[in-house]
Amino acid sequence: MRVTVIPGYYTLHLISRRRPTPPAPARPTIEDMITASELTKRYGGKPAKYAVSDLTFTVRPGTVTGFLGPNGAGKSTTMRMILGLDAPTRGTATVGNHAYADHPAPLHEVGALLEARSVHPGRTAHHHLVALALTHGIPRSRVDHVLDLTGLTDVAGRRVKGFSLGMGQRLGIAAALLGDPATVILDEPVNGLDPEGVLWIRNLLKSLAAEGRTVFVSSHLMSEMAVTAEHLIIIGRGRLLADTTVDTFVRESGAGTIKVVTPEAGLLTQLLAAPPVDVTSSTPGILEISGTDAEHIGRTAAAHGIPLFELTPHAASLEEAFMDLTRDSLEYAAHLEPA
Amino acid sequence: MTTLALTPARILRSEWHKLWTVRSTWIMLTAATVFTIGVGIAISASYEQDRGEVSGVDPVQFLLFGTQFSQIILAVVAVLSIAGEYGTGMVRSTMVAVPRRLPVLWSKAGVVTAVVFTATLATFLVTFTAGQLFLDGTDKELSLTDPGVLGTLVGSTAGLTSLALIGLGLGALLRSVPGGITAFIGGVTVLPEVLRMFPYDVMDSAAKYFPGRAAEGLMTLHDSSDYAATGPALLALTLWTTAILGTAGLLLKRRDV
Ligand SMILES: Nc1ncnc2c1ncn2[C@@H]1O[C@H](COP(=O)(O)OP(=O)(O)O)[C@@H](O)[C@H]1O
Ligand SMILES: [Mg+2]
Repeated sequence: MRVTVIPGYYTLHLISRRRPTPPAPARPTIEDMITASELTKRYGGKPAKYAVSDLTFTVRPGTVTGFLGPNGAGKSTTMRMILGLDAPTRGTATVGNHAYADHPAPLHEVGALLEARSVHPGRTAHHHLVALALTHGIPRSRVDHVLDLTGLTDVAGRRVKGFSLGMGQRLGIAAALLGDPATVILDEPVNGLDPEGVLWIRNLLKSLAAEGRTVFVSSHLMSEMAVTAEHLIIIGRGRLLADTTVDTFVRESGAGTIKVVTPEAGLLTQLLAAPPVDVTSSTPGILEISGTDAEHIGRTAAAHGIPLFELTPHAASLEEAFMDLTRDSLEYAAHLEPA
Repeated sequence: MTTLALTPARILRSEWHKLWTVRSTWIMLTAATVFTIGVGIAISASYEQDRGEVSGVDPVQFLLFGTQFSQIILAVVAVLSIAGEYGTGMVRSTMVAVPRRLPVLWSKAGVVTAVVFTATLATFLVTFTAGQLFLDGTDKELSLTDPGVLGTLVGSTAGLTSLALIGLGLGALLRSVPGGITAFIGGVTVLPEVLRMFPYDVMDSAAKYFPGRAAEGLMTLHDSSDYAATGPALLALTLWTTAILGTAGLLLKRRDV
């Protein structure tokens, strides 16, 4: 089920905004793309360990790209290399065709939420953001704006020491949005958030993408990505496993069954059951539909005045498909890539 | 309309802001100042010329006796300004904002220089003036206008500022607050004393050019064979500071954050 996005609700047009305000997805331009090319990171120690191996992908503007992989797959390492915090052993990562460090206003180019704590606990939230803003000449009004946007205005004067995990996460997001960035990179942003916060992030990411920004967000949860992202880059043990769309992944993994509860099961079956759509039913009034998406089912039902009591994509089986894919990286790699 | 861009001046302002928005800076600077002034007044007030053991001590060094401890506090402020960022993870935010990294180190050095120099010079002037109130008629009586006095106070300030910058460099190299403080105390105050214990003249001479001893020597009004002369001492401190900060910069650029 899709989450409603209120266009412009989270619009962040304060400083010299170069993107247009309309929420229509901008056409992908090389300017705002993230590209990784044969990106490799080896950590020393015995034996030496490849955290990331030969990773090549692009992340396009105007859509949310999920960066998916089990814990330890190399997601954080990849993001740190994109941001120039870690130097690649081999390969390159660029944002808008340049190394991150080569941009004259890096925070305006990329806003990042890192996985690891990145705040001095003795400083207040407000002072933390001001310190970052000062490096780029970002006005104080923008600091107030991102505090407001992340719901931190009331605690802005408190030292970060006393923040809950969720508040810390919100502060990280405030920092990421500070420079009104063309690209947003968020490493496991929903970690530690309550359900309300998770929903908030989901909507925020979608509205950022709708404004034409490049949104690259990591998670180890397929179910989370399935409802947030349109595009997926899946890695396991540092290697690319799939570079595909959520829809394709769902279809190819066979996980795309949607449960529909309706009193008009017979009529809905008639309307929908034609290749590639497959409708089965084991209990009267409950249909298991595959080969299409919830939107199509919902619209079809609405067009014919069929009431729906339930319309549920099967997230659990999606999670299983993801686990199958990542269980043994190499075996399945050729199978699902590229979409 | 603002043009968003990194500039050296903006990074400097950011570092200035960061220094003053953690409590430890205020606490430590106050502690260093109060301690230096307090010790200066205390030993001046209780000074009796004929009591022997301190009468051979240089009159300016005598007044600034509190710096033996304050110099460590000032270095800790500098260590904290960088190693504290590694300890808390703040450094990741900092380096994402300034991905070229080096301007951060230079800005921190600039801020430390400005703050430590100003605070120390003011502290020394107050300590000198207050201490002298008790030293009328003793062999340690001096006036700010006496030849060499002001120069010695400024030189002493420069010495302490260099030590703080060395603390900054050590903090950046070791990326750890305890590590930086230990290295500072060990390298700057203990090591030269250890060198002097060897029965070789060359080691004793070399020890004079170690940061702690060079800075100590700058606090003397009169030349003494215990210390290097002012010029060479300043040069030695400059070289130490440059070498340590330079190495820190090199590694900052090379290592993963
Ligand atoms: N600084 C490091 N030194 C050594 N190994 C590391 C370091 N950082 C990460 N790793 C290893 O690299 C692999 C990938 O880690 P990470 O990028 O954090 O994965 P993810 O974010 O997908 O969970 C893990 O096996 C991790 O243990
Ligand atoms: Mg991670």
